[in-house]
Amino acid sequence: MNKMLSRALAGSLFIAAGMTAGTAYAAPVTASATASATILSPVTVTNTADLDFGTIVSGASAATVNVSTAGARTCGAGLTCTGTTTAAAFAIAGSASKVVTVSVPASVSLSNGTDSMTATLSSSAGSGTLTLNASGNASLNVGGLLGVAAGQADGAYTGTFTVSVDYQ
Amino acid sequence: MIQKMLRRASVALAATGLFLTLGTAHAGGGDLLVAPTRIVLDGPRGAEIVLNNIGETTATYRVSLEIKRMTPEGALEEIDPNAVNDAERQTLAMLLYSPRRVTLPPNQPQTIRLSVRPPAGLPDGEYRAHMLFRAVPESRSVSAPVTPTSGVSIALTPIYGVSIPIIVRQGRLEATAAIANARLEAPGTERLLRFDLSKQGNRSVYGEVIVTRPGVAEPLVAARGVAIYPEINQRVVTLPLSQEQYDALHGPVTIRFVEDREVGSATLAEMSTVLR
Repeated sequence: MNKMLSRALAGSLFIAAGMTAGTAYAAPVTASATASATILSPVTVTNTADLDFGTIVSGASAATVNVSTAGARTCGAGLTCTGTTTAAAFAIAGSASKVVTVSVPASVSLSNGTDSMTATLSSSAGSGTLTLNASGNASLNVGGLLGVAAGQADGAYTGTFTVSVDYQ
Repeated sequence: MIQKMLRRASVALAATGLFLTLGTAHAGGGDLLVAPTRIVLDGPRGAEIVLNNIGETTATYRVSLEIKRMTPEGALEEIDPNAVNDAERQTLAMLLYSPRRVTLPPNQPQTIRLSVRPPAGLPDGEYRAHMLFRAVPESRSVSAPVTPTSGVSIALTPIYGVSIPIIVRQGRLEATAAIANARLEAPGTERLLRFDLSKQGNRSVYGEVIVTRPGVAEPLVAARGVAIYPEINQRVVTLPLSQEQYDALHGPVTIRFVEDREVGSATLAEMSTVLR
């Protein structure tokens, strides 16, 4: 797969080089031609699943719903949880054995427009570091612990959180 | 001919995109490819960075420069634009790049042009910013889940991206590195090799960590792309291990920090120890 990536990239970079050559050669022409292709090692980040807590019916007292980084749900006492849950999943592909740091915020706030909730996020890269394997692949999962208030107002709560893969 | 080549390149990329998303339900637009993953510029030169939309839908990406400082734990901490120091402000001012916002259909690459304009009399040193590529989230479509009649439904949208360091070197810079205090740690289910990487000098040190057992050619652990930046003199390097690697590492090992293989693999620092 990496080979395909580099091939494709080499293709696109070669074009870039070819296009700029047009302007560069406006200068006095010498009797030589240069062909060049630069192979750059790329990184790709693909989001393969969203963090989904399913549907929750709130109870008489405050409780939490946890979705582990593996996507498994723990439904707090007094709550009714239905639907399927998934952890957010990202596929990272790049050069073999490359070390990257990943940053995931500690918490995220959600709102249905009038009411809000807070989820604490957990990352499968607990140390904040990932090493791509010998094929240049790594996966990152993000789970969360959602605090549900007593009698939390019904509604569709939405929120965003940022994930960044940082090269050193 | 260029057309044909473009088509060939995008066909290859399309195949890659499909391969990446096989097996799992795809969550959304914003998947991206960035190359290269590190840029070092000596003096007033330029560079090009390729950004490609490898998702299945058209996406808008924002390209920005951020100041990040390395923490003693080796993380890259984002610094608020209002909290940057003079040298960091100067770094942001000397780096010019465009475009800063681009909408790309699937498998459409875009070149980001970067140039450096160091001001006259710039003091010798290493100047660094991190270029962040991130998709702009779409507004919710009408097909998004509707409000349930009872209960609470949650939709959390990740905004994800990649950052790469842009390093500008001005003048004569030198640095040396050293390794100390290597140890194995096992917090919870994680298995980690940690050691302290220190540097002396006025530029960053970047390379590859290779852990070998005396008399065995095949490395037990190899980790590329490890840096220590000028703003700190010592950091912890944390390398996640598999259980097999963790078990195999107990005993005598040599930890070498070498220059990237593309630069020449010269040894920057070395330490022999017995891991327990």
